[in-house]
Amino acid sequence: MKWRHDLISLWHRLLSFGGRRRRARDVDDELAFHLAMRQAEQESAGASPERARLEAMRQFGNVTALKEQTREMWTFPSFESFVQDIRYAFRTLLKSRGFSIVAILVLAIGIGANTAMFSLVDAMLLRGLPYQDADRLVVLIGNVQRGVVERRGNSYPDHRDWRAQATRFVDLAAYSTMTMTLMGFDEPERVPIEAVSAPYFSLLGVTPVHGRTFRPDEDEVPNRDAVVILSDGLWRRRFGADPSIVNRTIQSGVRTYTVVGIMPPGFAGISDTAQLWLPFALSGSSFDNRGSRGFQTLARLKPGTTIAEARAELDVISRQLEAAYPDTNEKRAVEVSPLAVETFGQLEPVVLTLMAAVSFVLLIACANVANLLIGRSEVRQKEIAVRTVLGAGQARLLRLLITESCVLTLVGAAAGIGVAMAAVTGLTAASPVTFPSFVQPGLNMSVLAFTIGIALLSGVLLGLAPAMHTRWSRLSEALKDTARGSTGRRSHRMRASLVVAEVALAIVLLIGAGLMIRSVQKLTAIDPGFKPEGVLTLSASIPRQQGSGPAGGPVPAAPGQPAPPPPPLVVSGTDLLAQIRAVPGVTGASLVSDIPLGDGSSATFYAAEGDATTTAQTRPRAYIHRVTPEFFETIGMPIKAGRTFHEREATPTATAVIVSEGVTRRFWPNQDPIGKRIKMGAADSSNPWLEIVGVVADVKYRGLPANPTADPDLYFPALDRTVQGLLIRTSVDPGSVTTSVRAAIRRAHPAIVVYNVTTMSDLVKAQTAASTFLTWILGLFATTALVLSVIGIYGVMSYLVAQRTREFGIRLALGASRGGLVAVVLRHGARLIAIGAVIGIAGSLGLSRLLGDLLYGVTALDVASGLAILVLVVVAVLACVIPALRATRVDPVIALRNE
Amino acid sequence: MGDRPQTGELLPGTLDMLILKMLTRGEMHGYGIAQGIQRASNDVLHVEEGALYPALHRLEVRGWLRSTWGTSENNRRAKYYRLSALGRRELEREAAYWDRVASAVTRLMQAT
Repeated sequence: MKWRHDLISLWHRLLSFGGRRRRARDVDDELAFHLAMRQAEQESAGASPERARLEAMRQFGNVTALKEQTREMWTFPSFESFVQDIRYAFRTLLKSRGFSIVAILVLAIGIGANTAMFSLVDAMLLRGLPYQDADRLVVLIGNVQRGVVERRGNSYPDHRDWRAQATRFVDLAAYSTMTMTLMGFDEPERVPIEAVSAPYFSLLGVTPVHGRTFRPDEDEVPNRDAVVILSDGLWRRRFGADPSIVNRTIQSGVRTYTVVGIMPPGFAGISDTAQLWLPFALSGSSFDNRGSRGFQTLARLKPGTTIAEARAELDVISRQLEAAYPDTNEKRAVEVSPLAVETFGQLEPVVLTLMAAVSFVLLIACANVANLLIGRSEVRQKEIAVRTVLGAGQARLLRLLITESCVLTLVGAAAGIGVAMAAVTGLTAASPVTFPSFVQPGLNMSVLAFTIGIALLSGVLLGLAPAMHTRWSRLSEALKDTARGSTGRRSHRMRASLVVAEVALAIVLLIGAGLMIRSVQKLTAIDPGFKPEGVLTLSASIPRQQGSGPAGGPVPAAPGQPAPPPPPLVVSGTDLLAQIRAVPGVTGASLVSDIPLGDGSSATFYAAEGDATTTAQTRPRAYIHRVTPEFFETIGMPIKAGRTFHEREATPTATAVIVSEGVTRRFWPNQDPIGKRIKMGAADSSNPWLEIVGVVADVKYRGLPANPTADPDLYFPALDRTVQGLLIRTSVDPGSVTTSVRAAIRRAHPAIVVYNVTTMSDLVKAQTAASTFLTWILGLFATTALVLSVIGIYGVMSYLVAQRTREFGIRLALGASRGGLVAVVLRHGARLIAIGAVIGIAGSLGLSRLLGDLLYGVTALDVASGLAILVLVVVAVLACVIPALRATRVDPVIALRNE
Repeated sequence: MGDRPQTGELLPGTLDMLILKMLTRGEMHGYGIAQGIQRASNDVLHVEEGALYPALHRLEVRGWLRSTWGTSENNRRAKYYRLSALGRRELEREAAYWDRVASAVTRLMQAT
């Protein structure tokens, strides 16, 4: 019943909300009528009209209060006084404009920075992947469990067996990223594509806007139907968004493909770069070699299935496959990793670290504003005392203060949102770490809710700060002008702890930034083992003269038939290099199958002649690179023994091999390795023995600060391949020869597609870009924190000196030296700074754990930490010096007369 | 906030019930209700204006009373209240409760 009454009254109140003025007049009339009736009653009892009126009034008591009480029945009194408070808050803030501007600016920086970071967190970690039920999407990655578990990739026979036997998944789809050269336009274009098996699209929950996705029979090998699906972007860019392109053909290399579907806008596959999809059967992967591993598998867990259950099931299958195919599947297992982790894994710690850093900045900003508010509340002691005397309760006053600070923080937040949106746009644009294209941080409901939330939270805290330090009870003193230090001690303690907190927070941020800077210094100082400076790199896709095969990759040979020898390329590697070397400024050029630090290296097992120590667990593996003789000179890789290749060794049957020192160290330590022999695959395989003709240094070919795995490198003579990497050493800035190199390649043959043009130095930088970028932002936050906390310390110390003017005057009059006074102030400041520093240092011990993987070769005990502490302490003490000097300028006479 | 009746001479909580009871006689203005209670109780119960009007408006907001503006016996604009169906039910509830409480108190006071 009760709730029904409440509802009815709420309804009536709402109805009458608009007609408040009329309601007030009605109450006036009603009471006036009553008063008149009473008066008439008195008069009829024999009183004079004047007496009757007074008597009626007396009976009524406080008419105004009664009117108000009656009217309140119809209104929301708490809401209306709330509106009043807000109006009042705006008025007070407008009156002290200087204070308000500073406070709002500080808050705008703090809240804006938090909003910016949160919109990133929201876009990446909260909104997550743009697929239906994305939390059930996982990636299956084959690994090998030898000592350390290393990710490898999947083979098609394994993938097929998983798909047939595993019951924990809705379905599995193979996918692999590739590139493909599209023809039939003004000039050929190379586009990133994905080769995917049929269930891929339904697993992601994506349906084509035109046409269809791949059919299961298009996954069958050998595949006869060359079909493709276009991305929305490619369809618009190249085909004018013409829906009739479906069922027509497009050209790549010498092959034609039938377009069967168009994907919706914004969809670029798991790789986030795909412009076109090919059936996995056309990917060129081996379909019957269980040992040929190179792609990954997308899978969707059945509802209610955990990753652990899926992993356990795949473990069982892996063990069965190991028993059935020991040659290829020994020690092989499958990693089940959520797609979200694969997509955001690297970005998550960066974003979370920045989120933590930015919340520290807000805390410092709040501490500063709290300081300002405390200062102001002392000025307002009298106003507050008057309000209390007039009957305002403590709760009411607290509400007033909190309303005021909330208005302050909300205005700050509004300004901060502007700051944030600009910052986030700049951040994602400047970031060397590519954010997935669907991560579009912006203002939405959750970001807005977060911003308002932190604004209100800071507002409440800020309102409590002055309330906590004010003693409401000692009003009489506040009302008197002489009540100078009445709130003094308490206020000191409050302000002092704010300074301590600011110093502590700033120290943590400074140490964090310091560690990152050191870490980046160490990263960029790493010697990759070759000389990246002055080297231009690019990839070239060189078509064959005639015959079949897409330029992007080989067409799988039909089983049972030997692959026909491919026709020659339109231009030989030697001729291409000759054209490039003729470009002015170029001092050397070479071909390489995979550009250092440029991805795309692949590994293989090998065997060393006469080696008896190797077991299945220690089977040697190495990365294979095919290079022309000038490669080592061009990239600046020192030859430790022997020689480079001869031109005549550039044949498929050549038996010369150059190895990195890792190979010789393992099998022939302290021996002359030249002339020793190794073989691809197992020692008892039919592969020919290869003779080591040279030894080069171990270099960081595949990644900085270290190669992802410790396997050494094997170099073979380059063969004419349709896809080549080119390294071009220049005597001038490598970027400046780009145009002339492109022209030279076009002269060699116009059908060659050039892509991925960059410099070796940029590839090196890209390896450390994420850390560098993070360091910049963290440094920015730390600087902001430093500046804010120094302002805070300066403010508090100035205030303390001002409070003690009289005391200093007396001290001077009693013969204290001015230097002594400076020491008193500095000692006070130094004590606060020291306490803050100790807390901050303790806090930053946990910090290095948070930074964890982001740090390279640095611990919390690094010199950088010491330097960061030193910087803060020095700057903070300097902030105390100016107020301290002011203390010495106190004229004892004036200071004492001031009373 | 003003939801508490300030009856003084009335037993706390009874003012609402008395107003509702008065209005069973028909439409009345505030002054009439106050007079009515006083007279019907043989001058035992006095209703203060300070309590009466907030109570009347509270009851109206709750939907137990309806009001119209009319002309009084001496030709003045006055606000007349009457009982709504909800108010009638509420009165029954409160009267029943009052009976129980009053008889219990009486029994208690008469016991030795």
